[in-house]
Amino acid sequence: MDNLEGLIQEYLQREAQSKTRRHFIKNCAQGMGGLALSSIFMGCDPLESPKKKAAMTFSERDLNPLATLAPPFSPKVKSVIYLHMAGAPSQLEMFDHKPELLKLDGQDCPQSLLEGKKFAFIKGTPKLLGPQAEFKQEGESGNWVSNFMPHFKKVVDDVAFLKAVHTDQFNHGPAQLFMHTGSARLGRPSIGAWATYGLGSENQNLPGFVVLTSGGNTPDAGKSVWGSGFLPSVYQGVQCRSKGDPVLYLEDPDGVSRNLKKSTIDAINKINKEEYAKYADPEILARINQYEMAYRMQIAVPEVMNINDEPENIKQMYGVKPGEESFANNCLLARKLVEDGVRFVQLFDWGWDTHGNIREGSIDLGLRNKCREIDRPITALIMDLKQRGLLDETLIVWGGEFGRTPMQENRGNKKMAYKGRDHHGDAFTMWMAGGGIKKGASHGKTDDIGFSGIEGRVSVHDVHATILHLLGFNHEQFTYQFQGRPFRLTDVEGEVIKEILA
Amino acid sequence: MDVLKQLLGRLHPIIVHLPIGFIILGLLLRWYDRKRNEFDHAIPLIFLWAGYSAVLTCITGYAQYIGEGYTFETVKWHLWLGITTALFSFLMYFKFGNTETFAWVKTIPIVVMTLLMFVLVSATGHLGGTITHGEDYFVEPLPNNIKSALGFETFEEKEIALTEETWEDALIYEDVIKPILNNKCVSCHSPKKSKGELMLHNEKVILDGGENGEVLSINNAIESELFRRITLPKTDEEHMPPKDKTQPSKEEIKLIGAWIDVGHPFDQTIQQSGLKKELFLSFFPKKKDNNYPEIAVIAASQDSIKIIEAKGIHVDPIDKTSDFLKVSCINKPQFSDADFESLKPLSRQIAVLDLGGTQVTNAIFEKLATLPNLTILKLDNTTVTGENIEVLGSLEYLKSVNLTSTDFEEIHLQKFEDFKRLKRVYLFQTKINDKGMQTLKDGQITVDYGNYELPQIPSDSIVY
Repeated sequence: MDNLEGLIQEYLQREAQSKTRRHFIKNCAQGMGGLALSSIFMGCDPLESPKKKAAMTFSERDLNPLATLAPPFSPKVKSVIYLHMAGAPSQLEMFDHKPELLKLDGQDCPQSLLEGKKFAFIKGTPKLLGPQAEFKQEGESGNWVSNFMPHFKKVVDDVAFLKAVHTDQFNHGPAQLFMHTGSARLGRPSIGAWATYGLGSENQNLPGFVVLTSGGNTPDAGKSVWGSGFLPSVYQGVQCRSKGDPVLYLEDPDGVSRNLKKSTIDAINKINKEEYAKYADPEILARINQYEMAYRMQIAVPEVMNINDEPENIKQMYGVKPGEESFANNCLLARKLVEDGVRFVQLFDWGWDTHGNIREGSIDLGLRNKCREIDRPITALIMDLKQRGLLDETLIVWGGEFGRTPMQENRGNKKMAYKGRDHHGDAFTMWMAGGGIKKGASHGKTDDIGFSGIEGRVSVHDVHATILHLLGFNHEQFTYQFQGRPFRLTDVEGEVIKEILA
Repeated sequence: MDVLKQLLGRLHPIIVHLPIGFIILGLLLRWYDRKRNEFDHAIPLIFLWAGYSAVLTCITGYAQYIGEGYTFETVKWHLWLGITTALFSFLMYFKFGNTETFAWVKTIPIVVMTLLMFVLVSATGHLGGTITHGEDYFVEPLPNNIKSALGFETFEEKEIALTEETWEDALIYEDVIKPILNNKCVSCHSPKKSKGELMLHNEKVILDGGENGEVLSINNAIESELFRRITLPKTDEEHMPPKDKTQPSKEEIKLIGAWIDVGHPFDQTIQQSGLKKELFLSFFPKKKDNNYPEIAVIAASQDSIKIIEAKGIHVDPIDKTSDFLKVSCINKPQFSDADFESLKPLSRQIAVLDLGGTQVTNAIFEKLATLPNLTILKLDNTTVTGENIEVLGSLEYLKSVNLTSTDFEEIHLQKFEDFKRLKRVYLFQTKINDKGMQTLKDGQITVDYGNYELPQIPSDSIVY
């Protein structure tokens, strides 16, 4: 033992000896120089205003990042409800009526369509698969809706279809990222994050951006589809659940009273504010805010997330299943959240990946179940928003991450157990409804078998540009300075789809 | 050697100012000295220097002509006049100098000599400037009307202006196609630049086409070079306009295609061309449907906004271009009739007011009637019954009233008939037990009673 202490002593002495003044100056020259340079250049970002860096004080927006802001242009809607069918629903069984395809059912797909195309699973020469649903023109607009969506036809005159959306991704993860962040790669903020960053949120007791999943799987792309990317993390989506605690870990632990919780949070925030004064790291502010919001949310969220108090007829209209995680519950919740001033509500449903490899994932069986699960809730959501005067100030967007092939999937070049379709990004259907949308419009057309858009093709960026337009932004001017350049949701593309605007 | 030539050449626009300066100085001094004769010795010396520097300028100028690849045609006049100016400077030296060489110049009147010198230096300078800065250096910044008054051709960036009434009589080329080409193409395809030997500023030159021949193919947009280029992907080398230039919109491209498809008529009206109305719809004036009146209002004072916000009430401009405000009590459910007083300073600016879920009563209507520009009013989830609501009839711009989940009574419904611009009333979950949408005031006002139903259908319970 003495021996060891002796060794340590000797080591410390050696080390002290090596740290001479000369050593200090030599080693520090570089470091100090670098420090000086960085303050001369005001950080790495030449475009960032020096004022912003110099003022190490709280700006109002820093302290309250969700404070409401006026949009640059007159907005048509206040809130957005985005309904995403993860897995990609088949447009050919829901909205894109292709009678020609029915006639060609079972025939070989022409080679000209396959050349230069990549599919996720289709190999060799697949056979065309006729629509498995029956279509009818509905409403005054006469837009096509299939018998898989028998309720939806009642609101068909309230929505505007985009029949020829295209994406350049054919795998779920990247395609979902692209659909929600404008880039197929990680790191960009989602639409909801952009919206709350640009506009803040009205209700100070609720998050500005709420995400609801129908239980089961989370989207393949993970939580990045509602992430904040390079925006301050306070703008990311907050995932709430319709079963159990609405937000995980929100309840007080046993033996902790609400007052104790309050004093704890006050103390933590005091320390955090001191830290911020020292380092000016905006993430500290985000943290301060999240503590405070979590405290307020403890009361407000269970209230808004409780669907039991809704009148019976409303519950029936949506077809809710209290105590479960369901898309119907989430639709009703979406209305309640929007009613309470939440800026962006993102719903994810899952199980739409109808390859035909299993019964649940088949075009003629599983898909019908999925359609039944969303048909009533979505129709109810539109009707309910309408009767409350909220549809005028809310935008509903419906879609998947891509569409499905007119060909029957032949995974491994074999006949599959069930009828199914492969991933297809060339043409698929999305729709929007709500404020500023031309009711009953239908934009874009696909070819006779629904393989490609031949008229009114719109890209994912165009969809984003249109959403931002309705919220009061010019998508080309709505930017965030990051890594030395301004970033946009629509990158360098996108055009507002005027054809579906009122 | 080429490098030297070029470098030397590039000195020309700098050195050129020396002889110009000397000559002007000489002329001015001569004029100033015309009676006193105090600078007799200086004047010839100045013209001698002018001559030397002019020779230097000529040499650099020639180097530039050779080195930068100007055609002789372009620089011809400038070159000969430059040399003449240099020689004339020496003549001026002999004229005023104390020397016997070229004695004959002394016989020419001074006025003639000085005038000639002045004209020479001005003309040479002007021609030189034209070569470097272009013909229209001074004309370009002028407004279009002055330009055309001066007789210059203009390519006006006028917007396409069509209306519901006039669109059929508008000229397809003059009023629609020409403005598109002028705004998006002509800056590079005009007599000024004519890239690819293509000009697009009038009928004749469009039909002439460019270096690869015609750009329009009769009745066939897809086969037309012009249409092919503008519809290529932006990443394509041949895409027009170049990707960093302003691009024509989808609607404009579509129109150009349709115009070529009907045989690119130049003199027809839209009606004669047979093009469909849908093509032109996006150029019709947009009907604005803003949530605030289309009038101007002075901005509210920031101080009064701050005071109100401190009470937990949201006050925000409706958008950054407007001084109208949107006020929301979503975070202040205890807001009552008495609290309305605090909103007084904003009475002219409030266009959207959300009092949903607050404690307000029928007494609020009188107060709301003091907001002259109120456009959207939300009173949902309150206890108002509609008594007194008629006072809101005086509001000029009121467009929408939301009374969902209130105690609104049927007897007050008729009062909406007297509202001027009211369009929408929401009466779901009120004392009126009605269903769906109905209209009032000959269809001007839509009343939504809600109570929409989605009855059970057999397929609801079929599981596949």
